[in-house]
Amino acid sequence: MGERGTFRVMLLIVGLVFAFLYIPISVVVGLSFNDGGLPTAWTGFSTRWYGELLANDDILHAAGNTLIVALASTLVSTVLGTLLALGVELRRRKGHALEALIFAPMIIPDIVLAIALLSFFSLLNVTMGLHTITMAHVVFNLAFVCSVVRAALKTFDWSIVEASADLGASQITTFFRVVLPVLAPAILAGALLAFTLSVDEFIIAFFTSGAGRSSITLPMQIFSMIRFGVTPEINALATIVLSVSVIALTLSQRLSRRSVIPT
Amino acid sequence: MTALLELRDVRCDFGAVRAVDSVSLDIAENEFFALLGASGSGKTTLLRMLAGFQKPTSGAILLDGKDISPLPPERRPVNLMFQSYALFPHMSVRQNVSYGLEMDRLPKAEIAARVGEILETVQLSDLAERKPEQLSGGQRQRVALARALVKRPRLLLLDEPLGALDKKLRGAMQLELKRLQHEVGITFIVVTHDQEEALVMADRIAILDKGRLVQCGPPREIYERPATRFAADFIGTMNFLPISANSGGLTLATGEPLKSNEPAPNGPSVAAIRPERLRLHEAGDDNRLDGTVRARAYHGLDLQIHVETAAAPDPVIVRITADVADRITLAIGDPITLGWSARDTRIFET
Repeated sequence: MGERGTFRVMLLIVGLVFAFLYIPISVVVGLSFNDGGLPTAWTGFSTRWYGELLANDDILHAAGNTLIVALASTLVSTVLGTLLALGVELRRRKGHALEALIFAPMIIPDIVLAIALLSFFSLLNVTMGLHTITMAHVVFNLAFVCSVVRAALKTFDWSIVEASADLGASQITTFFRVVLPVLAPAILAGALLAFTLSVDEFIIAFFTSGAGRSSITLPMQIFSMIRFGVTPEINALATIVLSVSVIALTLSQRLSRRSVIPT
Repeated sequence: MTALLELRDVRCDFGAVRAVDSVSLDIAENEFFALLGASGSGKTTLLRMLAGFQKPTSGAILLDGKDISPLPPERRPVNLMFQSYALFPHMSVRQNVSYGLEMDRLPKAEIAARVGEILETVQLSDLAERKPEQLSGGQRQRVALARALVKRPRLLLLDEPLGALDKKLRGAMQLELKRLQHEVGITFIVVTHDQEEALVMADRIAILDKGRLVQCGPPREIYERPATRFAADFIGTMNFLPISANSGGLTLATGEPLKSNEPAPNGPSVAAIRPERLRLHEAGDDNRLDGTVRARAYHGLDLQIHVETAAAPDPVIVRITADVADRITLAIGDPITLGWSARDTRIFET
């Protein structure tokens, strides 16, 4: 087999892998535009299911909840995660390490974390709702934001912090005028990642939302709808969630790549 | 000479390692001073103590007679130009240079005027709106310099200021730095491992070795009258010939007598002679040494010859100026007799 032949076989394998990964997703996206609404027959292009979606109060309510949880947990975990990353890096530079502890929430299975948080909230007799979901999301988002910011800190030139002090800046001024702007792309990338993770998180939200439908989130709403069969509305909803995630992730990757470029 | 900066018995320990050991120095107003040493000699630690990033373990650092060692970096009238330049990557050249003056809360108009002026001085006015990543190495170096100079510090510290530049640019910048220092009238302290750089730029040089001050003086004195064997070896090229002392005076390992104007040593010693002080032996030379040419290297200005002798294990290096080299033929393997004066012979005990 010549070089051309090898190349063609490899191309074929790549094609198959991508087909395996993306055909199910494209089916969902395709069906969301199917006028008839049945997965068995294509009856023409239509956006009617998106319209029906907007008329469904349950879904809108759940989407609102998801947005609240995602925004709140992103905000809190971005601030805390950035400070944590800086703190750990400063300690590491002084020779103390506590790295493994931080990344535990990234590695522990979601179901374990979910049960742990549920038990914890019950133990404290906390009434569960959106606030407990938010807190639970902060737990794992914190680790992700921290790891993204830490990656940027690996290439961070600490001499600019000394230069700032040398030029007469206090530590606070140095933080806001030098450290924060230089790390901004990485922090934003971490925030976008956290937002994406929070939007489609199901297990932990399911365990920590408490009884009743008032604090149901979008993934939980989809789950409850699916028990009565996949409706075309769900396809439309999945497509929207997918688009939001893809956009946020793309932005996040662009930003974190930019922050890693040495200056 | 009233000292601008006075170091009194300054010491700095890192755990069990003594990085700087009892250094005392006076540096005058308007001086261009070089701290010269190999890596690990403590020169950078000394600089960081002056800037305030490192606390001395003991001793005092007096600036205009006041002890500044308790002050943090941001409260010292001292600025440092970092080896990596440490420019703020998210700010333009102008913003980088303005930063220090903004920290001093000067009026906007004054900041603009002073920044414009210093950018003019370092010839960066055209690049004021660029970001550091859009600049060449030499341009970044000038931004770093402007950023430190614009604060009009009492003392400007420069950490290997030319280290990141290529050789040709370095030569030009050495003279440029000297010109700038003269123009702004600020005391410069340069840390460098490059002895040539120190000789060219500095009014005075301090040589550091293992945290200790070996010698301090003007370049000519450092070069011509090194205080120790280390200083002699560190600055320029030096030939060392082991000698022995007996009742008849000093003799080389070849048995030839050695004449020097320096006092006779006690114990084992070496004679040290600069390559450019050696010549082809002439009648009337105080000292002579026979050998064989082992290698020759043409350097444009002069011809360097390595001569194998019985006087030393290492070949003796001789520099013959171009006009002399033109008149003689020296092939590898030829016998050669070297001569030099007693006053060009240093003696160091080993």
